[in-house]
Amino acid sequence: MRLGTAGARGRMPAPEATTERAAISLRGVGKDFRGAAGECVALDGVDLDIDAGDFVCLLGQSGCGKSTLLNLIAGLDSPSRGSIDVGGRRVGMMFQDANLFPWLTVRGNIELALRLSGVPAREFGPRVEELLETVRLPRAASMRPHELSGGMRQRVALARTLAQDCSILLMDEPFAALDAITRDAMHDETERIWLERELTIVFVTHNVRESARLGNRVLVMAPDPGRIDSELRIGLQRPRRMEDPGVADRAAELHRRLSERNEP
Amino acid sequence: MSDIDAGRLVGKAAAPARRIRSAGPQGQRAASLGSRVIRRSWPPLLAVIITLLLWEVVYLSGWRPSYVLPDPATVLQRTGEMVASGKFWQALGTTMFRAAAGFGLALGIGTLIGLVVSFSRTLRAAIGSMITGLQTMPSIAWFPFAILLFGLSESAILFVVILGAAPSIANGIISGIDDVPKALIRTASVLGARGLSLYRYVVVPAALPAYLSGLKQGWAFAWRSLMAGELLVIIASKPSLGVQLQFHREFADTAGLMSVMIIILVLGMLIDGVLSRVSNGVRARRGMGPVS
Ligand SMILES: Nc1ncnc2c1ncn2[C@@H]1O[C@H](COP(=O)(O)OP(=O)(O)O)[C@@H](O)[C@H]1O
Ligand SMILES: [Mg+2]
Repeated sequence: MRLGTAGARGRMPAPEATTERAAISLRGVGKDFRGAAGECVALDGVDLDIDAGDFVCLLGQSGCGKSTLLNLIAGLDSPSRGSIDVGGRRVGMMFQDANLFPWLTVRGNIELALRLSGVPAREFGPRVEELLETVRLPRAASMRPHELSGGMRQRVALARTLAQDCSILLMDEPFAALDAITRDAMHDETERIWLERELTIVFVTHNVRESARLGNRVLVMAPDPGRIDSELRIGLQRPRRMEDPGVADRAAELHRRLSERNEP
Repeated sequence: MSDIDAGRLVGKAAAPARRIRSAGPQGQRAASLGSRVIRRSWPPLLAVIITLLLWEVVYLSGWRPSYVLPDPATVLQRTGEMVASGKFWQALGTTMFRAAAGFGLALGIGTLIGLVVSFSRTLRAAIGSMITGLQTMPSIAWFPFAILLFGLSESAILFVVILGAAPSIANGIISGIDDVPKALIRTASVLGARGLSLYRYVVVPAALPAYLSGLKQGWAFAWRSLMAGELLVIIASKPSLGVQLQFHREFADTAGLMSVMIIILVLGMLIDGVLSRVSNGVRARRGMGPVS
């Protein structure tokens, strides 16, 4: 096991890392924030290995450190303790808000992502087409973000993230603000794209059903300090649907674990 | 909800917006453009009519003798004659050249200072409040100092115009950059934007609307400072709008004086109108425009 600090992930993976199956590995990761009320331990003692190509959901109530953990994996923030290793893989990230750049069209948003990941300009045209095809918005290229519905914006955000050719996709409650029908559709797309592109996905949610619908593994987190409390392997056939009895079953189990935590 | 249904759903949602964007029949478009021009121009037209009516009423009341306060018709006729004279265009040329030079320099200096200050936290703390302070200083108060520094010269006028306009422009860019949503910065940084590319592709474009507001405010200050300057720093060899104001006052020619004032008002509004159009266009494209 190669233990690198967050800053080391830009390097090429060490030879032994390629023989390992873990795409993401965390060892003793902790994160403290200095706030107005003194030191706050947002995360402590997180040990985690995520296989390449796996779909992992992080489930937990608000404030248990889900976003913090995702930001650490993305390299947006560095851990106070421990080490994080993504073996030099490209990491893309999506948030609850699509955060499209409002001064650019849909095409402009995707092109900027291509440019920032070093794709030559002459390849932009076909790549944008292909990415919009992937997220099923083939005719939206010249539209502006404010002209899109919430679901369409998240599709564009997904296309923009995929433009980086990332192999790890981190998603922080990306569909929490969508209506149920649009969200179901986005679950289908996410599942399809995950399979097609052989992505490793870490998906943060506070919705038990969503985690049971999407994940291969669901990691239940607990607060004070933020940590991984237990794990549930979903083990259901794909493609799945929100209303599958198996999904409902796993959701009930996850719900039980979460509410157990909340009782004093 | 299956994959296919979902795709169709999105397709439907996208369709109406596309239809609105596509061009309608030519005639229909022209008609809607015409009615839009009328709808947009009648409030200012109404304002002009109200002003002229009030002016006429005051004139008819005999509050001041007609050689002190002429009626609108006389003044408008004088304005027409003035615009037809070569001397006016010479004066206008001098004034507009000063306006362009002063505002142009203020634009360059203000933008540069704004960018540098927003780049460095230390400079921000040191200079940021000074810029705001400068903005509250009435620019006419700089003139005695400017005249001592540069004499009764073009430079004295430009100096004050720049001091009047540059702080607003710098402030526009600083507040624009300060207010770039953190979420956009985070998104840009996961997309791989760092340092200069983060500035070029995200921070600067995000700050553009605030920058344009700063430009508009800067123009208003530049125009005021310039008129104050042309009244205080009279350069005999150079006819300008300010010199003409002074000239008409000395000859107690109110009609001529008011004609020049009308020109100054219209010019200021025209340039402000152009800047507003650019600014509103930029905002509308981002969905920030006013609800109309
Ligand atoms: N930038 C920050 N500064 C101070 N405290 C923070 C910061 N970010 C998160 N926290 C704290 O860390 C804890 C976990 O936050 P977060 O990871 O956002 O939770 P979640 O995403 O699970 O809702 C919370 O108690 C929150 O107040
Ligand atoms: Mg969160």
